[in-house]
Amino acid sequence: MSESVIADEGQHRGAFFLRSFRTKIILVVVLAVLFNLLVGASISMLNVHRLSNEASAEIERGLTNANREYVVNYIETTGLRLDLVLERIHSEVDMLAGAMQTLVDNPKVAQGVGKSLVGNPKFSPRLIYDTKGDWAQNATGALSVTSVWGYLLKNGVPLPKAASTVDASAPFDILAPSMMERGAGKLQMYYVGPKTLPIMRTTPYADQAQTFDRLYPGHNAANFWDFFFPGVYEGWQEWIKNPESRPIKTSFITATAPYIDAITGKLIVSFFRPLWTADRKDVAGMTAADVTLEQLAEIVEGVRLADTGFAFLAQSDSNVIAVKSENEARLGLKIGSAAGQGVTGLNRKLSESTQAGVAGLALPSDGKTIFATIMIQENGVDVPYLVALHRLSGVNLWDAGKIRSEYLTLGFAVPAGEIYAPLVSAQNKIDAATSRIVRWQIGSLVGSLIIVLLAVFGVSGKITAGLSDLAAAARRMRDKDYSARVVVGARDEVGEVGLAFNSMAEEMRQHTENLESLVDQRTRALEEASAQILSLNARLESENNRLATEIGVARQIQMMVLPGAGEVGALVAYDVAGYMEPADEVGGDYYDVIQAGGHIKIGIGDVTGHGLESGVFMLMVQSITRALLEQGVLDPMRFLTVLNRAITKNLVRSGSDKHMTLAFLDIAGDTITLSGQHEEVLVLRNDGSVERIDTMDLGFPVGLEDEIEDFVATRIIDLASGEVVVLYTDGITEAEDESGAFYGQDLLCESIQRHGAKSADALRDGVLADLKAYIGTQKVHDDITLVIVKKR
Amino acid sequence: MQEIKTADYRVWADGATIHYEGTMRLSGTEAYAPVQDMMGAILAQAPAQIVLDLTSLEFLNSSGINLLAKFTIEVRKAAGTGMAVRGSTLIPWQSKSLPNLKRLFPDLELTIA
Repeated sequence: MSESVIADEGQHRGAFFLRSFRTKIILVVVLAVLFNLLVGASISMLNVHRLSNEASAEIERGLTNANREYVVNYIETTGLRLDLVLERIHSEVDMLAGAMQTLVDNPKVAQGVGKSLVGNPKFSPRLIYDTKGDWAQNATGALSVTSVWGYLLKNGVPLPKAASTVDASAPFDILAPSMMERGAGKLQMYYVGPKTLPIMRTTPYADQAQTFDRLYPGHNAANFWDFFFPGVYEGWQEWIKNPESRPIKTSFITATAPYIDAITGKLIVSFFRPLWTADRKDVAGMTAADVTLEQLAEIVEGVRLADTGFAFLAQSDSNVIAVKSENEARLGLKIGSAAGQGVTGLNRKLSESTQAGVAGLALPSDGKTIFATIMIQENGVDVPYLVALHRLSGVNLWDAGKIRSEYLTLGFAVPAGEIYAPLVSAQNKIDAATSRIVRWQIGSLVGSLIIVLLAVFGVSGKITAGLSDLAAAARRMRDKDYSARVVVGARDEVGEVGLAFNSMAEEMRQHTENLESLVDQRTRALEEASAQILSLNARLESENNRLATEIGVARQIQMMVLPGAGEVGALVAYDVAGYMEPADEVGGDYYDVIQAGGHIKIGIGDVTGHGLESGVFMLMVQSITRALLEQGVLDPMRFLTVLNRAITKNLVRSGSDKHMTLAFLDIAGDTITLSGQHEEVLVLRNDGSVERIDTMDLGFPVGLEDEIEDFVATRIIDLASGEVVVLYTDGITEAEDESGAFYGQDLLCESIQRHGAKSADALRDGVLADLKAYIGTQKVHDDITLVIVKKR
Repeated sequence: MQEIKTADYRVWADGATIHYEGTMRLSGTEAYAPVQDMMGAILAQAPAQIVLDLTSLEFLNSSGINLLAKFTIEVRKAAGTGMAVRGSTLIPWQSKSLPNLKRLFPDLELTIA
């Protein structure tokens, strides 16, 4: 039991500590500080974050712009270099064409120059017929090789026109070999005659026809142009007819699509320049140069962006013609072969790349550099690449039998991570700085909190020490230790409470010690009060007894003065019946039947009030009535006057303030004289009617005034045999039914009429029965008195 | 304004006019003492006329009637103060008892209407 109490106490202490004032102070201060710190920290962190974000964004913007600018500059410069290389080759082919055109335009000069060169084995090769190949070609050692196809020979000797063309093209040997040695790197330069005489002169010397025989069987059976370059000749003829049909207006140079050179195995491109007849109405052959794409590839492959960024060169159909082999794989290019070309081509289109991002690239449609960011899968990981695309200058391209415009596109591709490496590094540094700031912020927050906690803990201890003392003292008080006091230290509110507590404790101690004597005192006082109450009670009882006795005596007097049954019934000429029922306490009714000699006096009255005084009053009236009657005072007026005077004087002497209504019937023979003021007197006539006689003017209340002679009068009532006089007191007419309504004279009269034929006794009983029925259970307030006088 | 009020009746004075209302069936002169004192106090102020308004007094027992009679005699003795009593024909006891007051004090103005 005691253990559980202690445990309970321990729990209580624990809970108390949690709820204690000090804990609340600490909580409030710590929460307030925490709130401030958190808000401050949040705001500063927010700002730091915003700052770092803005810095990152700014750097990103700057770097992106710088990167783009750099890439644009780089790609456009590179594009310019590529254009320049091509332009240079174009120029050289143009220059050769210019010279050859002069020869065409001036056939005599050409012939002249040609003739002058004839004989010099270096310039005028002797054509040797090859029976196996059915073509004629000069022997090795010359500056150029000139092939005349079988269809231009007759018996192994060139037709005259063919021979003339061979001669006319001899100046080619002066120009072309030196151009080969200088200028842009070229594989070979060559001249082809018009379609009717398509001899072919090429420098440097090579086994031209032999190679053709080996690689292109059947070429000697068809026209050179139609066999090797179908459509190009007709295209040029169309240019003459319709200059608008030339796709690139700035140049007559017509390129072929890149193809792999059968001899060198290198990717090469041929650049043609048509020659015109002197009248400019037809094509007169062409000059041309074959170049490898190495020069372009060198430039393209020399491009290096960031760590592994690279360049590529693509045709308008997205066929990549220059890219480093390792980058070819990065772009996901597949090598196929181009069918339907006169020469073997190469096909590795971007649009057919295995990399969806690469396949989806749209090439630019004008000279503006465009950018795209695509995803390229490397080792199963998507790597973002920044791709820049720039279109080079246009060129006329012979392709699939037609001449159309062609634009090469230079592309740069660089992993975004590399080009944005400085940005990432800057952002990392900003992030690191931000994290550092946040760490410091949290550290200082925790530090401040600890300092505040320690300070609050110390200060609150001092603040609440008084309260803790008070609480401890109060607990001791609760445990009935009234000697508990607190040490009042500070002169503050807590100190005031301490003082008040001490005085209260002192008071409680005194109270407790004085309690026993107090109980004794109270007990004694109670005992005294009890004794007093008992004696008072006894006195009250005796008083009640006295009152009851008084009422009893009064009632006895009242009954005593009533006439006996013998007196009433002894009358000869009249049948008289009397009745009186006293109310519980109110008693004052009086009636009398006195016979003196031949005179009968019947009186009825009502004394005000009740009790002994009323009884004595009644006794006096009865005595005086008897005395006066015995004295022979028969005159009713004189009788009433004297009686009143005697009573009034007696009342004055006894100091009583009562009075009485009183009326008399004086019966002498057949005459009945009514005198005195009382209730109405009712007379039941033999015809059944009830006569109501007012007595107001026949007298005056007895005991109010000494002299009432002036007020007293008499009235004679003639009564036939069987007729009835009824006297009553207001106890009958003012009796109430259950609703409180009075019985009244009317009901009384009806009752008398109903019972009128009966004897006086029966009439009385009948009337009383009706009255009782009317009253029911209602309280009877007043005495009920009824006197019936019936003439026999 | 003085007033005596119980569940059964109410008596109040309005200047020199005393109003009675309800049913007064008090047992004896002593019980009527408060009403008597109130009436006596008004008489002591010697107004020119004291008016007893009984038109709403349904019932008054003999002790009460005695009180009115004694008061009438007092007013008669106190010279200089007249008296008027107002009653109602609708209330039986008033026609029966109030004329006696006029007899006690012939100058009294009795109105039973």
